[in-house]
Amino acid sequence: MEQATPTLEELQQLIQMSNTINMEIFYWWCIALMMVIHAGFLSYEIGASRLKNALTAGVKNILAFAFIVPTFFFFGWWIYNGFSGGLIPDLDGAAASLPWASSMGPNITDNATGIFWAAFVLFAATTASIMSGALIERTRMSAFIVLAIILGSGVWILGAAWSWHPAGWLTTEWGFHDVGAAGCVHTIAGFFTLGVVMNVGARIGRFNADGSSNNIVGHSMPMSVIGLMLVIVGFFGFLGGCIIYNGGGQWTNIYGQPATLSAFAFNTLMGFSGGLIGAYLTTREPFWMMSGGLIGIVSVAPGLDVYYPPLAFVIGMGVAAAAPLVHKFLGKRGIDDAVGAFAVHGFGGFAGLVLSGIFIAGYPNVIEGSPAVNFLGQTGGAIVLAALGFIPGYFISLLMKKMGVLRVPAHAEERGLDLVEVPAQAYPEWAITGASITTVSEGEVRPNTIIGETKPA
Amino acid sequence: MSSPISSWEGASTVFTFADKPMVLGFILVVAVALTIFAIYATVRHEQVSYKSPMIKK
Repeated sequence: MEQATPTLEELQQLIQMSNTINMEIFYWWCIALMMVIHAGFLSYEIGASRLKNALTAGVKNILAFAFIVPTFFFFGWWIYNGFSGGLIPDLDGAAASLPWASSMGPNITDNATGIFWAAFVLFAATTASIMSGALIERTRMSAFIVLAIILGSGVWILGAAWSWHPAGWLTTEWGFHDVGAAGCVHTIAGFFTLGVVMNVGARIGRFNADGSSNNIVGHSMPMSVIGLMLVIVGFFGFLGGCIIYNGGGQWTNIYGQPATLSAFAFNTLMGFSGGLIGAYLTTREPFWMMSGGLIGIVSVAPGLDVYYPPLAFVIGMGVAAAAPLVHKFLGKRGIDDAVGAFAVHGFGGFAGLVLSGIFIAGYPNVIEGSPAVNFLGQTGGAIVLAALGFIPGYFISLLMKKMGVLRVPAHAEERGLDLVEVPAQAYPEWAITGASITTVSEGEVRPNTIIGETKPA
Repeated sequence: MSSPISSWEGASTVFTFADKPMVLGFILVVAVALTIFAIYATVRHEQVSYKSPMIKK
């Protein structure tokens, strides 16, 4: 059978369609990997909760994701495309992102909108998950959902429009450079969380009247550590989603500068390993080591496309070594961030941006008229994004506190939120048989106290 | 008919009711309302849970 020779035009169409579909496939799998971040946060938070709150922590984390998706469809994507110039929306530019636009649904001539929207949804859900862990064991589910929507579908994406968008004013005016979203995702989420934690207050028993503190330990550190490793796995999808696939051309970062995934691979792993070692040096314990790995990645995220890999290693190590000290500093001031979310994401992102101002200064922008990367632009951008996170986080949660809707009642907190709110048990056999287990305490064998209350049938 | 197209000639937007803005708007409003209702239902669940005799001291 004779095959027809394709024309040049047909070949061009073939290549173009192949590029388009490859782009879709690339981001599709980035999204799938980013889902692993949430599996990780889920495991991490459940493990960091005491037995009596394990399921509530899980429900909270799952609901954050569930509410981010529709609200990001309703208005989050529109914010990203409408507010790159500041606080005045570009109505024409964002018209295609309105929830009733022809590109906001199945459209056989648009392969890009849905896949980019979905990738941004996963970034959004990451911001809410960052906050989620810090608030475990005493925050009302409803308050958390509202805060998660504000952060995930509002605040961070406004920061992304300003700082992680080719036309974002922080880049076009100040030369801001943050390829891995250390600012709009981590710094904003970390500082938003700090504002909320300050108002929600410490868990009962965390601090004593004399100012001393008690370490509240989660019921499964192995679960938390494995969860953190899953977060790291998912971050390869997250960072893959931070680079732009150009069919037939070199990758670019989100600002249009040429970049490679190879560069990302070098610096992500070097930052990660530096972070692991840095946190090991100052803590010696696995929870902070794995958090340190994450801090390492966050801290080098601004310059993933530019850093010399050993520099990424040093930056990751330094920031991760310091982060546990930041966490301790907050604890000494009566701030109970249950998982160190501020130290990991807020401090890690902020420090990474400031350091990038030193180490990647002079790197040219491709947008005409935009300044090159510079220290003031990076530091100023970090401050703007930190404020953008902290101010709404603090004042909205303060309002909730005044209204009495931020925190669960003390009697529910003491009993445990699983017993109060969740019609299921995390470890039913353990809870039922707990009273009959014996334990050795100071040389005597005595019946164990009940470690979990069972629910009435 | 919920499909906005009846043939593939020149087709682009293919999602249900894309050619009926009123219906599209109605579905969107319903989706928003359900999202808000879910938050309200969470608040109600909390209020009932916290008042449950099972957990009163």
